[in-house]
Formats: sequence, structure tokens, C-alpha cells
Amino acid sequence: MRLHPILFAGPSQKSARAPQREPVPFKMLLPLELKKTVSGKGDKLKEAACMQEMAVMFACFKKSEFDQQQCLKEVAAFKGCYKEYSERMSSQRELGKKGILVPGEKKLTHRQLNQLLKSFPPKKSVK
Amino acid sequence: MANNIRNINKCIPRNSLSCIVPRLLTVQQYREYARPTSFPDFFQNPIFRKEDQAKLIESAELPKIAALPVRPPAVYQTSSAYHDPLVNKVINHVMEMGKKQMARNLVEKAFENIKRSQIERYHLASTPEAKAKIELDPKKILHKAIENAKPLLILQPIKRGGITYQVPGPITEKRSLFLAIKWLLEATNEKERTVHFPEQFAWELLDAANNTGKVVKRKQDLHRQCEANRAYAHYRWQ
Repeated sequence: MRLHPILFAGPSQKSARAPQREPVPFKMLLPLELKKTVSGKGDKLKEAACMQEMAVMFACFKKSEFDQQQCLKEVAAFKGCYKEYSERMSSQRELGKKGILVPGEKKLTHRQLNQLLKSFPPKKSVK
Repeated sequence: MANNIRNINKCIPRNSLSCIVPRLLTVQQYREYARPTSFPDFFQNPIFRKEDQAKLIESAELPKIAALPVRPPAVYQTSSAYHDPLVNKVINHVMEMGKKQMARNLVEKAFENIKRSQIERYHLASTPEAKAKIELDPKKILHKAIENAKPLLILQPIKRGGITYQVPGPITEKRSLFLAIKWLLEATNEKERTVHFPEQFAWELLDAANNTGKVVKRKQDLHRQCEANRAYAHYRWQ
């Protein structure tokens, strides 16, 4: 009788198809260190801008049947709020791009953090 | 390699402008020209309005800018008293296939129509108070119409959990102006074939300046929809 090779090709401890046996040996694929930089992923601002003003404006619109002339105050407040917000954001973006460090600032952007990390590089861990 | 050497050689005579200025000045500026221009980026945009020049003189920034090279002004950049940036913008929106002269004629004809109808109304009005209320300047009417047509909010499609929500939010000044002009022109082009553009444009402008008409209704409809969707407003920030 001729034995088919498939019969011998089941999951053995040699092939990767077998379930691993505890304890799984640790293999170091990358050096166990932190990077020298931080990524900018977490820096996206999740600030709800001008929601209050928008709600007030909507209330006024509903009252006056969407006639803008009767809600000049609310409209001006909403516009001013958004203008102020976009100006603040653009100046922040520009400052962030430059990565200028402001002494005593609590909340740093990732560029500022990278600047700091560059000037004070973390010590190499001793192995 | 050869190219690099040539560049270095070009920069050795230190008094040449092209070598020094970029180093002195890394001013990133708003470019009014399309990208391929024969002038490098450090050439400043011309300041051609008297008001802008006065502002510069007041803030004592003129001597700084005076030493820098400036691009030549384009044909439409004039210090004429009749130059109105908004009118210029509208003309550019009306223009098709680069036929500026034609677009200008159409807009000016519309202004003429506005003027005629307003003067007619002026003479029909009986009391001086009623006469004083009638605006005769077509440019002022255009400004008013665009101001009234500008939307305050915008609906943005944002996908959450497989469903696309129309999320209301604030609009930038630029986008709002663009939409106002676009809507005015769309309302104008929705006309009978026998009615000519200047007539219809004049009517639309007068309507919008009066805070009535198709365009203002369209703006209010957008605001209504924004109001109906206000519950989704927080999706914008998540």
C-alpha cells in the first residue's frame, strides 16, 4: 500500500500550524525602547465650537420663522464666535508647525514635544 | 551635479538679488497668481488699492515692503475709484470660456436695468420719505443682495455607523460668499429663453436686496434643514 504524504503532513510541533505550547518563548523582534518622537495622531482637537451660539440662533430663527433681520444679535454672536475660533485655530496651527516652546505651558502639541525630546533625548536603557 | 555647480557659481556674487533675497526673507504669502508664473515666490503681490496703501503707511510697514521686489499688477488690479472687488468677483463668476469683456457687459447691462427700474420707482414715489428710501446705486444693491443671500450655516455629510448624516455647522466667510454668488447666478439662469440675462439678473438682485425672492428662500430653506438636523451637530466634533 502506498501512503499518501498528506497523512504525514498534519500539524506537528515543527510546523507553525500547531497550537503553541505554554510557556511561549519570548522573541525580541524590536529593541525594547520607546521611540524618540511622539506621533501627532492624538493631537486632533475635539472641541465643539460655537454649539451654544448655534442653539441660541436656531431658537431665534424658529421664533421669527427664519427671518434673519429679527435675529441680528444672535447671528452676530454666532459669526463672531466662529471667526474667533478659526483665528485661534489658525494661530495655533502656525505655532504648532513651528514647534516653538512657550515656557510654562502645560499642554504641548506633538511638535513641541518632539522639539523637547530632540533637545533632551531620552537616555539609552542599559542592557 | 553640473547643475548644482552652476547654481553655486550663480550665487557667489553676493550683490545679486536672486541670491540674497530668499535668504533674508522666507515670507510665505498668499499667491494671487496661478502657480506657473515667471516670478519667484519672494516677489510680493502688488498693493494697488489706496486704502491698503494708507493702512500700510499708518502701520509703518511701508519702508519694509518698499525694498522688496514686487510683481507687476494684472490688468484688473487698478486704483480706480470705480474698482469694486465684489463687482469684479461677480464678473468673474459670470464669465464663461474666458470671455471677460462679454461678462462685464452683461453685468453692466444688469446694473443699467437696476438703475432704470429704481429711477422709475423713484419718480413714481409721491412723498420725499418714500423717495429717500429708494436705493439708486446698483453697486450698493449688489452688495446688499449678496449680503442677504449669504448662508450662515452649512450641511456637511458625515458618515457615522454606516449612515450618512447631514450635519450642520458654521461656514467660512469665503465659502459663504461663493455660495451667495453661485445661487444668484443659478436663480438667474433659471429663466425663459426669451428673457435675457441682464434683465433676469437685475430682478434677482433687486429681489435679494429686498430680502425676498428665490435666492433668499433657498438660503432660508438651508437654514431650516440645518435647524431640523441640529441634533446631529455634535457629530462634527467627534
